[in-house]
Amino acid sequence: MIHIVYMSRAVRPLSDQELQQMLDQCRRDNASRNVTGVLFYSHGNIAQLIEGDAAVLEPLFEKISRDGRHSNVVELVKKNIAARSFSDWSMAFHPLQSSGFDALEGFLLPDHLRQPPSTLTIADAMMVDLVRLAVFGPDAVATEPAEPAHA
Amino acid sequence: MREQRLQDILEHMPAGVATLQGAELRYGFVNDAMRAVIGQEAQEGRLVAEHPGIIPADLLDVMQQVYQSGRPFVAKAYRLVMSASESQPSELSYYDIALEPVREGGGPVSGLLLFAVDVTAQEQARQRAHELAIETRRLDTRLRVLTETVPQITFTLNAKGKVEYVSPQWYYFTGQPPTADLNAIWPLLIHPDDRLRILYQSDTARAAGTGWNYEYRLRRHDGQYRWLLSRALPELHAPDKPVFWHGALTEIHDQRELSEALRRGEAELRFLADSIPELIWTATAEGFIDYYNQFTGEYTGLTRDELGPTGWINLLEPSEQANAARRWVHSIATGEPYEGLFRMRRHDGVYRWHIIRARQLTDTRGPRWFGACTDVDDQHRLREVLQTQYDELARTNRDLDTFVYTASHDLKQPLLNLRGLFDELRRTASFKDPEEEEIQTMVDGALSQLDTTLQELAATVQDQRGLSAPAEALNLRSVAEEVLLGLRAQVQEAGATVELNFEEAPSLTYGRANLRSIMHNLLSNALKFADPERAPLVQVHSHLSSTGQPTLTVQDNGLGMALPDAPNSVFQPFNRQHPHIGGAGVGMYLVQRIITSRGGHLEVASTVGEGTTFTIHWFDA
Ligand SMILES: Cc1cc2nc3c(=O)[nH]c(=O)nc-3n(C[C@H](O)[C@H](O)[C@H](O)COP(=O)(O)O)c2cc1C
Repeated sequence: MIHIVYMSRAVRPLSDQELQQMLDQCRRDNASRNVTGVLFYSHGNIAQLIEGDAAVLEPLFEKISRDGRHSNVVELVKKNIAARSFSDWSMAFHPLQSSGFDALEGFLLPDHLRQPPSTLTIADAMMVDLVRLAVFGPDAVATEPAEPAHA
Repeated sequence: MREQRLQDILEHMPAGVATLQGAELRYGFVNDAMRAVIGQEAQEGRLVAEHPGIIPADLLDVMQQVYQSGRPFVAKAYRLVMSASESQPSELSYYDIALEPVREGGGPVSGLLLFAVDVTAQEQARQRAHELAIETRRLDTRLRVLTETVPQITFTLNAKGKVEYVSPQWYYFTGQPPTADLNAIWPLLIHPDDRLRILYQSDTARAAGTGWNYEYRLRRHDGQYRWLLSRALPELHAPDKPVFWHGALTEIHDQRELSEALRRGEAELRFLADSIPELIWTATAEGFIDYYNQFTGEYTGLTRDELGPTGWINLLEPSEQANAARRWVHSIATGEPYEGLFRMRRHDGVYRWHIIRARQLTDTRGPRWFGACTDVDDQHRLREVLQTQYDELARTNRDLDTFVYTASHDLKQPLLNLRGLFDELRRTASFKDPEEEEIQTMVDGALSQLDTTLQELAATVQDQRGLSAPAEALNLRSVAEEVLLGLRAQVQEAGATVELNFEEAPSLTYGRANLRSIMHNLLSNALKFADPERAPLVQVHSHLSSTGQPTLTVQDNGLGMALPDAPNSVFQPFNRQHPHIGGAGVGMYLVQRIITSRGGHLEVASTVGEGTTFTIHWFDA
């Protein structure tokens, strides 16, 4: 089992409808192929973590990176993992019309995101935190004041 | 018969034919085509002047003149306005018109023959061609203005590679006269180092019928060679048969110099970073490491790929990773500099202390992070050793002070006895020798001096250490924690667990320095005499006795000791139960002295191989 994390830019802003279509299609396809993970979207910034069998994930990532809806796809990490950290596939974004989305399965508001699961190594959890920060900006991601590192 | 056939032919001709008879010009024969032009009014026998249909007045005039002069008349593309019918709006038509005088048997003119051929389509085509020509001229002018005002040099080459056109900018740039032979001069103006390459590349592109895009240096009017970008595209007349190449030359000298300088600068910085025996790295605005210097690879034994954009976290001591990661995310979010002291794993698995520092640089290329990890392990370890030694010295010093204080106190009574005995001796004995008298005085003086010295000694350490400070209400837990803080190195080293339970009697009215000294000695003894077979466990409890007096027990699971029969002898100064274990040996003596001097007593119970329990009865009722 592996996971892949990448970041990209949408070629043009995605509408609520496009995002919802993507959520529907990806949730269906990913569930059937045992792919789990999460996608962050805001103002054209995209970051995604996907996990699953290498035989499924590698061609899927090939396809995603060729998808004409986004470009500048930068793979940040691809590595073996011992276990999944996400139970399904979900998407976090700020819909323009907020009504109606709350009820959608697999949809999350960015401020309702939980801390990265503890099954991730600290280095991987930090990567998820960093891509979330890069997508949603510092205002949306409250970083708690760090305690001083001591000797 | 012949007449009839002729009429038939004329009737069906696609051109309009009509005869006009007599000087007054009456319609004679009018074929269908002519009637379609003029209109239904054109009926045999009618006067043209009265029923002209669409024939305009000027043509009627011309008819009269042709009749009178006998000279034929031809008008090309004569414009007629076709009358609007119910179904169609009026429209313009063009006719070639011919008027031919008719003479019968060579006599005078007796009528006119009128021909009209519709040339509307031809005329419209001609007019369109004319408009197109005007538009082409306009576009041409525009193109010329554009090509001659853009900063680029534009050019056209033919299939043989000869210059067909070059914009005036070429002459400005090169300073060549307008008479210059472009094809001969141009190659000579290219920098000698670039010339062959360029001639070869343009030949290749022409042979392949493709465009090109290359950079070369061209000599400017002042003799300087400047970098230009040459781009051209073929104009294809038949598929894959280019006839011309059109292109432009853009001066890119400054950009090129700048990027060259940047490349050089970057290469030099990389070289510098790779030469430094420190871990140096850079990170993107998002916080992902995109460069590790060579030394990072040597220190960690990992490649850049293995390290990855966040992999440095994995190198830190596991208990420090979460804090380090949280602080990094915080720095990325806020732009605040990053700084921390962490243990970082070397390729051989050894952790060494490092100071990790990073700062954000913001320039035109956006924010980037520059970081360094400095190995401070030697300093750090030295500091730890020094701190431990310092703590030890400070404690010994304190103990010695207390010892001096208690010793001076303890010596007071014997001194008092000595003086009493001496006075008794003086009183009962008689000294005859005057020298003995003198010795008497000297002994007297020495005794007084001893007394003063003892008092001063006690007073000095008393002041310094606050050992005789008045009793105050003390929170046992906070004093115990303070003492443990001083002992943390020992606690950690031994892997000891210390349980504090002061619930039953949380506070005690006592001298602060004394309480600290007691706790310190009991706890450090418990740690010192730990049994290497077990993890040390030290339990500290406060109780109230049946009479309501406070007590404190300190119980360990250490080596234990064999207690002598005579009580209290364990606590004689310099009496060491475990000679292999360091310590001044006065600690327990002091503890006991302090407790008794403040009106309490100390009990000890111990089993060799199981542990020792000290019980302090602070105040004997
Ligand atoms: C940013 C982004 C993320 C995507 N993530 C997924 C995904 O996780 N799973 C998936 O099946 N398709 C994903 N897609 C869609 C695929 O690129 C592709 O369009 C989809 O799988 C349909 O492929 P098909 O037409 O071959 O069936 C993503 C597309 C984009 C633009």
